[in-house]
Amino acid sequence: MTTHSAADCATCPAHHAGNLLKLGVDMSDSDYVVALAGNPNVGKSTVFNALTGLRQHTGNWPGKTVARAEGGFSYADKRYKIVDLPGTYSLLSTSKDEEIARDFILFGRPDVTIIVVDATRLERNLNLVLQVMEITDRAVIALNLIDEAKRHGLQVDERRLARDLGVPVVPMAARQGEGIPELLQAVHEVANGLAVCKPHRVKSESTAVQRALQQLVQQLTAVYPTLPNARWVALRLLDGDQRIAEAVRSGEIGALSAPENDQNADLLIPLEVAA
Amino acid sequence: MTTYTPRMNELNGQGETAVRETDILQTAETLRWQIGQNFHEQLMEDIYTEAARIADRAVTRAGEKPRFDMDRTIDHIVTSRVWGFPLMVLLFTVVFWLTISGANVPSGWLSYIFLDTLHPLLKEGATAIGMPWWLSGLLIDGMYLATAWVVSVMLPPMAIFFPLFTLLEDFGYLPRVAFNLDNIFRKSGAHGKQALSMMMGFGCNAAGVVATRVIDSPRERLIAIITNNFALCNGRWPTQILIASLFIGGLVPAYLAGFVSAMAVVGIAVLGVFLSFAVSWGLSRSILKGEVSTFSLELPPYRPPRIWQTIYTSVIDRTMIVLWRAITFALPAGAVIWLSANVMIGGVSIAEHLINLLNPLGLLIGLNGVILVAYIVAIPANEIVIPTVLMLTVLVTGATGVGAGAGVMFEMDGSAVRHLLDAGGWTLLTAVNLMLFSLIHNPCSTTIYTIYKETGSKKWTLIATMLPVVMGFIVTFLVAQVWRLLAG
Amino acid sequence: MPDPLLSLIIAGFLAGLGAALFWPQRGLIPNWQKTRQLTNRVLGEDAIKHIHKCDMDGRRPTVESIAGALHISTNEAATLLDSLQTQNLLFMSKGEIHLTPAGRDTAMHIIRAHRLWERYLAEETGYAEADWHGQAEHFEHHLTPTQLTALEAQLNYPTHDPHGDPIPTATGELVEHGGQPLTTLPVDKPGQIVHLEDEPEVVYAQLVAEGLHIGMPIRVTEITPQRVRFWANGDEHVLAPIVAGNISVLPLPETTPIVPDSSDSLANLHPGETAEVLSISPACRGAERRRFLDLGILPGTRIIAEMRSPSGDPTAYIIRGATIALRRTQAEYIKIKRVQHAAS
Repeated sequence: MTTHSAADCATCPAHHAGNLLKLGVDMSDSDYVVALAGNPNVGKSTVFNALTGLRQHTGNWPGKTVARAEGGFSYADKRYKIVDLPGTYSLLSTSKDEEIARDFILFGRPDVTIIVVDATRLERNLNLVLQVMEITDRAVIALNLIDEAKRHGLQVDERRLARDLGVPVVPMAARQGEGIPELLQAVHEVANGLAVCKPHRVKSESTAVQRALQQLVQQLTAVYPTLPNARWVALRLLDGDQRIAEAVRSGEIGALSAPENDQNADLLIPLEVAA
Repeated sequence: MTTYTPRMNELNGQGETAVRETDILQTAETLRWQIGQNFHEQLMEDIYTEAARIADRAVTRAGEKPRFDMDRTIDHIVTSRVWGFPLMVLLFTVVFWLTISGANVPSGWLSYIFLDTLHPLLKEGATAIGMPWWLSGLLIDGMYLATAWVVSVMLPPMAIFFPLFTLLEDFGYLPRVAFNLDNIFRKSGAHGKQALSMMMGFGCNAAGVVATRVIDSPRERLIAIITNNFALCNGRWPTQILIASLFIGGLVPAYLAGFVSAMAVVGIAVLGVFLSFAVSWGLSRSILKGEVSTFSLELPPYRPPRIWQTIYTSVIDRTMIVLWRAITFALPAGAVIWLSANVMIGGVSIAEHLINLLNPLGLLIGLNGVILVAYIVAIPANEIVIPTVLMLTVLVTGATGVGAGAGVMFEMDGSAVRHLLDAGGWTLLTAVNLMLFSLIHNPCSTTIYTIYKETGSKKWTLIATMLPVVMGFIVTFLVAQVWRLLAG
Repeated sequence: MPDPLLSLIIAGFLAGLGAALFWPQRGLIPNWQKTRQLTNRVLGEDAIKHIHKCDMDGRRPTVESIAGALHISTNEAATLLDSLQTQNLLFMSKGEIHLTPAGRDTAMHIIRAHRLWERYLAEETGYAEADWHGQAEHFEHHLTPTQLTALEAQLNYPTHDPHGDPIPTATGELVEHGGQPLTTLPVDKPGQIVHLEDEPEVVYAQLVAEGLHIGMPIRVTEITPQRVRFWANGDEHVLAPIVAGNISVLPLPETTPIVPDSSDSLANLHPGETAEVLSISPACRGAERRRFLDLGILPGTRIIAEMRSPSGDPTAYIIRGATIALRRTQAEYIKIKRVQHAAS
């Protein structure tokens, strides 16, 4: 008998093919799905093109990619589908773009989320990184434009960053193609559970908020014991996010807590046979 | 031995779960009252504080550099009080000059291949295989000719203009243009980035409408979409140039003709820019008053453009998409044009019936029935307005020795056109009003379709289409009446 | 060819006619629609709202007060009350007018509609603040409970309207702000604006013109029968006591850190100067405020003014590493403290 839970089965795909299909991503010819997130104007489309070999236009305009782009690549005998999300500064403000990005990471449950980060503007970019990591555990940071940073006299200690954030950090210069193999390797490791992420979570300063969060998280985990991002769901409820409130009311959130194979069924059928 | 194994479902049965879900929402609701209204702010503050802490630990600076010197230097030149505007004017003049003068040659080649060579060959081939005249007329004179015309006039300027524009975009110059011009746009209730969609509109309105995507505020984006029509697009330049040189250039001595007619065309383009501001101003104070408006403009760091990739992608992304849409609309339009000139009702073609019907209205606003019909059938692409006008004028006046038959669009050199149009009853007023109408009237069907795609709203598409039509009629009507009053 | 002068005259006449018919608010057709909407139902609902408001304020509603509030004659008001009584929305006892439970539900629904709609206008549209109340007065009669639930969800379940009044929940629960009139706040005691009364409109317009908003920290420096002098969010204001009484405040504990009084805003920062953000004005709300937060404009953030557009308006600022241009009107929302030396 095997028990599937998110913790035990780091090697099986985390995504829900059904949910993804609803979001417009057909998983029939790929093993893993990878989401590509990032601030506007950090070279996200360049990374996307470097990974897929596609030539999507990458303008030097904040907010260039409005529609969602999709592509694929193969690495170590696995087929990956990669979805380029709209560039956003944040995931909290309910603009259309942010909603698309947020919904995909939450409900699509990509196997890996690559967050492209501009090494020359780390602080600004980490805002989005921290928000994404509240939703998903499986993230890889693509520390892009590292060449520009060097030129400007900035040294980014990627190991320190990786330790602080709890996820792999790959320094790269996507325009020159530097760091792409390393990024592929990191994605491969996270997707296959070879590297385990322990993403850093932001602690609230206010005790009132902390108490409120604690109370909500308790209730959430009581109903959905395996919900991977209960804290984040609680935060969104406190912020009055109607999409999430709706998902809680309809039980859609529940679908996120159960792994692909129905946990209850797996656990109980053999016992019933024994009885 | 039987052991009782409680099923998970029994532990938290279905009914109980449902209650708990609403419980969660209830708790959240109560807690929200307790933590207060500025929770969202607190949250953002926490995240940014944390981000700053982590970034601080990971980044070491070699020296104290508030901002990168190279970028700074460029920025201070391109946005300086002295150099900012002249540089901008210079850059765009170069882009437009390269487009207009550079497009002539390949346009000539294409029209030689498609119109002068391939078209007669196709006709001959059709006759050789015994194709009935109406079928070869519909397919070759109608559909093929209209499409070939659109391609040969539209493709070269777009293939030059878009890559040049994209190079400026990739370098990062365009946001600075928006930065320089924003004050003027702000005063008319618009967003500085509208400068870019407007510039793009001079290349092609459909591409201009797509370019409004960079405007992230809904209200300002709608304004940019609706007013993009007033940027005189590539498809309308030939009409303006031809009419201006025939009628307005003809007013002055020959050595001044070129200059005066060029000024007339530039004057029309400037009037278009002025109308864009005026309409933006009007919209933001009337129907668009209640839409949300936010402003933020990031000036990204400069990056050297990668020239070949830019040319490749801009040709694929912009030129081809726009061209493809234009072709899909030109094909049926060609058929309609040919049919309208060849299907007879009571011995008279549909086109002539329509012309007679619209003539009184046309004359009232200083145009004529031929022009209005040409604008109706040429909605798909402004490029074919002049050939259609010529063909219809021949049809109406019964002029002999010109043209290639009913429903076949053609072009010919200046003086012959002038004779033909004079025979069609054209005056200077007709010419001026045609130039005005060509500037203001509705966007082409490609653009209308693009507006629908971008806004996803029938209402805004309708407004963007009808507003210019109504304005076009009002302006030409007023000009015609005042003109006639003054002329006695 | 028609005579040009004649056509111009005809066209001018047609344009004039069109304007007379369709001109917003003053044209014949909008006017006719307005009178048609002022049906008995609307009047009845307004009357119930008035009675409820009197109950809340501890005043006694009378036929005269209703007539006054609704701008109708006393006779009409009496007829209206009769019909409301037959609809079982109110009852009279000992000459006093009281709402039945059904009447109170109606009142709650109207208030909920009014406040939600104001919130909607404030957050999701570009209408000016002075337009909110008037529009809400109209829409409160035309929204069904289902529409309200949908609107509430769309607005992410707001708890307060933009004036600080609580929005009743669908089940009719209402939490009052619990504030006291500004005139009763002791001098030099820190407080926070929790409510701005939006009626009468003239007084409210004055409060809006002063730039006062919910959430602003406030400190009274002088109260006399002639005037109330106070600091709110870094600006000094002087108001007549009767106007100041329409501001409700909650006293803050003495220990709360108060935003230092400073009327310096980012708009005053010249290129090359550095400043630290103190706060974003509460007048900046909705999408615009959230965008500021996303850009990392938060208390304590260091901002350098970099360059000004040659046309004079947007100014580019360096905010957390990125160069971002803001318009003057936006920069005015951001209160700052100047920093002498640009530290690394």
